[in-house]
Amino acid sequence: MDSNIENNNKKPILEAINLSKRYEDNALALDNVSFTIHPGEIFAMLGGNGAGKTTTINLFLNLIEPTSGDCKIDGVSCVSKPLEAKKKVAYVSENVMLYPDFTAMQNLDFFIKLGGRMNLSKDEYKSVLKRVGLQEDAFNKKLKGFSKGMRQKCGIAISILKDAPAILLDEPTSGLDPKAGAEFVNLLKELKKEGKAILMSTHDIFRAKDVADTIGIMNKGQLVMKKKQSEIHNEDLEQLYIKYMAGYMENAA
Amino acid sequence: MFKVMLKKEILQIISSNKFAISFAVCSILILLTFFVGANSYLLSRDQYEAAVQENIRGMDGITDWRMINHRIFLPPQPLAALVNGISNDIGRNINMEGMGELRAHDSKYNEDPIYAAFRFLDLNFIFQIILSLFAVLLLYNAINGEKELGTLRLTFSNSVSRSQYILSKIVGSFSAIIIPLLIPIAIGFILLPLMGVPMTSTDWISLLGIIFSGVLYFSVFLTLSIFISASTAKSSTSFLVLLIVWIASVIVIPRASILISGRLVDVPSVDEINSKKSHYMRQISGETLSAMGNFKPTSNNDIMREFNEFMDEINTERDEKVTKFNSQVNQERRNAQMEQEKLALNLSRVSPASSFYLISSSFAGTSMELEKNYHEQAKAYQKVFADFQREKEGMTTGGGMMFIVRKAGVEENPIDPSELPEFVFKPPSLESRINSALPDLGILFVYNFIFFLVGYVKFLKFDLR
Ligand SMILES: Nc1ncnc2c1ncn2[C@@H]1O[C@H](COP(=O)(O)OP(=O)(O)OP(=O)(O)O)[C@@H](O)[C@H]1O
Ligand SMILES: [Mg+2]
Repeated sequence: MDSNIENNNKKPILEAINLSKRYEDNALALDNVSFTIHPGEIFAMLGGNGAGKTTTINLFLNLIEPTSGDCKIDGVSCVSKPLEAKKKVAYVSENVMLYPDFTAMQNLDFFIKLGGRMNLSKDEYKSVLKRVGLQEDAFNKKLKGFSKGMRQKCGIAISILKDAPAILLDEPTSGLDPKAGAEFVNLLKELKKEGKAILMSTHDIFRAKDVADTIGIMNKGQLVMKKKQSEIHNEDLEQLYIKYMAGYMENAA
Repeated sequence: MFKVMLKKEILQIISSNKFAISFAVCSILILLTFFVGANSYLLSRDQYEAAVQENIRGMDGITDWRMINHRIFLPPQPLAALVNGISNDIGRNINMEGMGELRAHDSKYNEDPIYAAFRFLDLNFIFQIILSLFAVLLLYNAINGEKELGTLRLTFSNSVSRSQYILSKIVGSFSAIIIPLLIPIAIGFILLPLMGVPMTSTDWISLLGIIFSGVLYFSVFLTLSIFISASTAKSSTSFLVLLIVWIASVIVIPRASILISGRLVDVPSVDEINSKKSHYMRQISGETLSAMGNFKPTSNNDIMREFNEFMDEINTERDEKVTKFNSQVNQERRNAQMEQEKLALNLSRVSPASSFYLISSSFAGTSMELEKNYHEQAKAYQKVFADFQREKEGMTTGGGMMFIVRKAGVEENPIDPSELPEFVFKPPSLESRINSALPDLGILFVYNFIFFLVGYVKFLKFDLR
């Protein structure tokens, strides 16, 4: 077992504390969700469409305000000190688009500087683009010709280069081909080794089981299951997931 | 962080195809305006000089100053070729007589209808229509477009404050569009002296004033676009809204305000006025004829001269009456017209496009004032001309009846046309141009300020997801 998962006396990087979000139209999108993610830990959020995964990530990024509860990045509240908290987090969105009239390098340059790293060299950009598996002839091409997966790789490169202690990934493997998906899993493992705390929402049960230290299943805004990898090691995650989804279906009916 | 975002904003705009096309179109139109404007000024100046010479040449061999057919002309102004205003619509030639009403004939559009077809090509058109449209086209999705792209989320996943973001947006898009456009404008500036257009310092400063107000006007549409873009979630919505606002302010409001004020304020037609005048003229001519019966020569040798002097007296008296009556009727019409104009102007000022038109034509000296100025200066010249005729021949022309007698066998000396006092048109001073532009400059400033402020506030509350 990885030592750093068990290491609970280490300070958590990502913390959700009784987090609730009710939208203007009264839908309770998030219902009293709590979790912590430590350095070197990957937390995978599973759950059907509309379960509240993106809402959780949006709360960490202060794109929306929680109705109650708090979330912290490296001990800094995202609600009261969002600008400080956001220095410590990198983010890959559900569907990375970036600027279509910029080249991959130009997009990288802008967002990395925005992330506060002003002095990276072009070679460093290139080596990370290589690392995420973008073909080299695309580095200086405008993004408007890129496929969804190629854009996704650029987004991942940006999040790596920001070199923040926390990483939020919203369905990062959607749009990646199987080879790129497998490479991404390796990449995640490397980031984990570097000590990053990673919150990842995904629909990919098998990859989640492969890479995550903790797996959470969300259902109608509630974190209905949260188990260590070691606990479900021998279980069929798909069966578990379907079981919880079935509960969801019953509740919905 | 601000610098990073500013740089990105500029880069984002200038690397888009939309910008490349707009910039090319704008540059060509601007250069063309300066080129065609300079050419048309030089052409008009040649025509003007030829007409003035022709006027003098027509006096060759004439022996009596009362026999000349004297005309004065409105000289072309360099800036009028760049901002036409009403300069092409008003009559430029006036038949000069010592008395009577002055009428200007032959507007440029009358003479050369081809110009009427190309009337659109001036700086006013380029700023008022083209540039404002580009501001809308380039910036209708300035904020909500970034949301649709997902770049807004990614940007705000970093430690970026909203106010820095919106400020960099406004400053960046302004610089990205305006700075490149200063290049063709600068070339245009250089083109003027190169092509031989004589520009006075007043002309230069006025031209700078026109460009400055054009930039200010452009910035109204820039801040408006950003404000609308930050007030709507979808770029298709903001595009529609902006298009409607643009059409309303550039096309509908200026025309509608003229229609509305025409409805609200009644102005007697020219025909109505003329029939009033001719009615009075008939009445007073009867009086003149009966007064002629009172002529009694005192000696026999210069009856004609005496008669003419007698008639000049009667005519002068009659002209005074007619002039008084006419100017009274004219004044009534003018007052109504001014009221109508004022109402139309004030209504149209709802639209920044109208304000800009008023500013640029004031700076160019081609506003409504031009017609009035020309008329007043022509009237002042009429007095000078009448005095000159009286000095030379004892009476002036334009009064109506006049007898000119040539004594048989006596060789009369031809007149020397160079003695004729010259008509010099004085364009408005820089100070008066600035003064008449100031209220509308103020309006544009206010528009900028309001749109900037609401855009800024709207973005602070904008849904970033
Ligand atoms: N702006 C909003 N206003 C009202 N309700 C919203 C809003 N955004 C999301 N919701 C609701 O919140 C709930 C959670 O949405 P969320 O986007 O977090 O789901 P998700 O788990 O990311 O789903 P998916 O797997 O489809 O991405 C949904 O029921 C959704 O309808
Ligand atoms: Mg989602």
